[in-house]
Amino acid sequence: MANIKCTRIRKSYGGHTVISDLNLDISDHEFVVFLGPSGCGKSTMLRMIAGLEEISDGTVSIGGRDVTHLPPGERGVAMVFQSYALYPHMSVYDNIAFGLRRQKVPAEEIRRRVDQVSNLLGLGQLLERKPKNLSGGQQQRVAMARAMIKTPKLFLFDEPLSNLDAKLREKLRTEIRRMHLELKTTTIFVTHDQLEAMTIADRIVLMRAGAIEQQGTPSEIFDRPATRFVADFIGSPAMNFRECSVHVEGDRAELVSGSIRLKVPAKDYRDLVSGARVEVGLRPSKMDIAAEGDVNIISGTVVLIENMGSEGQVIVDVDGREMSFVTKAFRTIEAGQRINFSIDPDNIHIFSRDDGRSLLHAAA
Amino acid sequence: MVSLIRRTVSRGFLALMILIALLPILWTILGSFKKLKDIVTPVPTLIFTPTLENFTTILQNPSIRDGLGNSVVIVGVSVLLGALFGIPAAYSLARHVERKKDDLQFFVLSLRFMPPVAIAIPFIIIYLDSGIYDTLAGLILVYLISTISTVIWLSVPAFERVPREIEEAAAMEGCSQAEIFIKFALPIAAPSLFGSLVFTFVLVWNELLLALTLAAENATLPVVAASITSLGKEVPWGVINASTVILVLPPLVFIGLLMGFINRMVATGRK
Repeated sequence: MANIKCTRIRKSYGGHTVISDLNLDISDHEFVVFLGPSGCGKSTMLRMIAGLEEISDGTVSIGGRDVTHLPPGERGVAMVFQSYALYPHMSVYDNIAFGLRRQKVPAEEIRRRVDQVSNLLGLGQLLERKPKNLSGGQQQRVAMARAMIKTPKLFLFDEPLSNLDAKLREKLRTEIRRMHLELKTTTIFVTHDQLEAMTIADRIVLMRAGAIEQQGTPSEIFDRPATRFVADFIGSPAMNFRECSVHVEGDRAELVSGSIRLKVPAKDYRDLVSGARVEVGLRPSKMDIAAEGDVNIISGTVVLIENMGSEGQVIVDVDGREMSFVTKAFRTIEAGQRINFSIDPDNIHIFSRDDGRSLLHAAA
Repeated sequence: MVSLIRRTVSRGFLALMILIALLPILWTILGSFKKLKDIVTPVPTLIFTPTLENFTTILQNPSIRDGLGNSVVIVGVSVLLGALFGIPAAYSLARHVERKKDDLQFFVLSLRFMPPVAIAIPFIIIYLDSGIYDTLAGLILVYLISTISTVIWLSVPAFERVPREIEEAAAMEGCSQAEIFIKFALPIAAPSLFGSLVFTFVLVWNELLLALTLAAENATLPVVAASITSLGKEVPWGVINASTVILVLPPLVFIGLLMGFINRMVATGRK
């Protein structure tokens, strides 16, 4: 039983407040990702839960026990650092065994458990080596083994994959996910990589400037972004944004920007009145070359095509500004040609121009 | 062909420069194995029968033997105490002091600004009054100013280079502050700390002025070696040379060790 409850957390450095009044609940066995741009407070949050950073105000409890003022070693948590933070003067075996030795676990038991985790992570051959003689991926695995062997109530990962190359990152991402499915330990994982967050998380907590901007499952965040910031941050290629004026006719609303005319059901959105100006977001991956019978058609001149393998990103000049969409049929398109592409009304995101919040009724 | 000539010329030039730089030292070493009559000849002799007489004289001379002993004790103890106080102080400065850290470090460094002459005279008076003039303890005490401040000054960066995350990882495993310092910060910073100790050692080993003013009977080796040069008309050049060699030897060995350590550090850093 290790749910985490953060209540009214505040963090200030001197007079400068970086996190204020933050509430967060994480249930047992959950895999939560703190996502956000650098400086949004996600690592600070993690370090406060770990006990490495003092909490200016508020409480943190782990498994129902208030740990706000406990030192890190007494919180029952284990952490994997971005730099791995392996002990350079100890062998891999000693690195992994250090925590258990401190707890005076019998040597035989230590040997058995080190063997177990090192086999699980494929470190069997490396136990006698020093950390500096390991590759980045191997060091990362040692750091994970060192965290796992203590069978903590809570795993914390602070951008653990950002120092690795893309291929290895993908592989280890899968391994971490698989490890979680097996051990079911509650996990908090910090990253600034939205793709990493989308693939690994049960729930994403998206942070901005010391506050939670939106939290939800990866598909909730992707399909129903609560703010323009979330919509912009999530998804690759990035969302297209256009400022549009609104014209309401009965139960349909039309969003107009230059030659672009998009029709949406008015009842799904709040504050859609004729003459209002809104920010409209269109995801490149949700658009495609227009087919017979499509309603929301946008036309423009193809500027260039980026081949991404099985798909291509087409960059189109629409009324002098660039938009992009993604299509599988990109090989039939040439730069310079006119093109019509369309979007389904369900995938049109409308945001307030004042506070950037989504106007969709269903959005959180 | 041209490049070969150029290389040979530049190497030759380099060798010449090194020779010029080393000549006084080589001459001293050579002189320490010569008899006096071989030294005072109008034409310098390069071929001579070497003798260990000078070294025997030196090592049998009670004042030089005592000087060497005093130097070892005084310098050894003051460097050791300097390390004992300075290293933990440096760690605290590097890790736990945030406000006024720069001011504190500057204060420590400023202890090294003052010319020794400026403190020598007040120290003589204080030492005479308190009865520790011309004692080993007195010299150790005054050298501690040098050793502690130098050790702190050089060790702060050594501890700052220890990745904070390693100490945090140790804290996550339940280590106390003391444990983190002894089991992690100290061994990881050890090569750089060793360098700072060697530097400090060389600094006080060669110190002359304070030793000259604050001690008479219990003089250190530099004082004794200096005093031989003013023995009178019959200058024992061979003995002076030999005493210089003995004086220079310990720092030289230490610097050799230091270079080895630095090279090893650079090599592992490059990996």
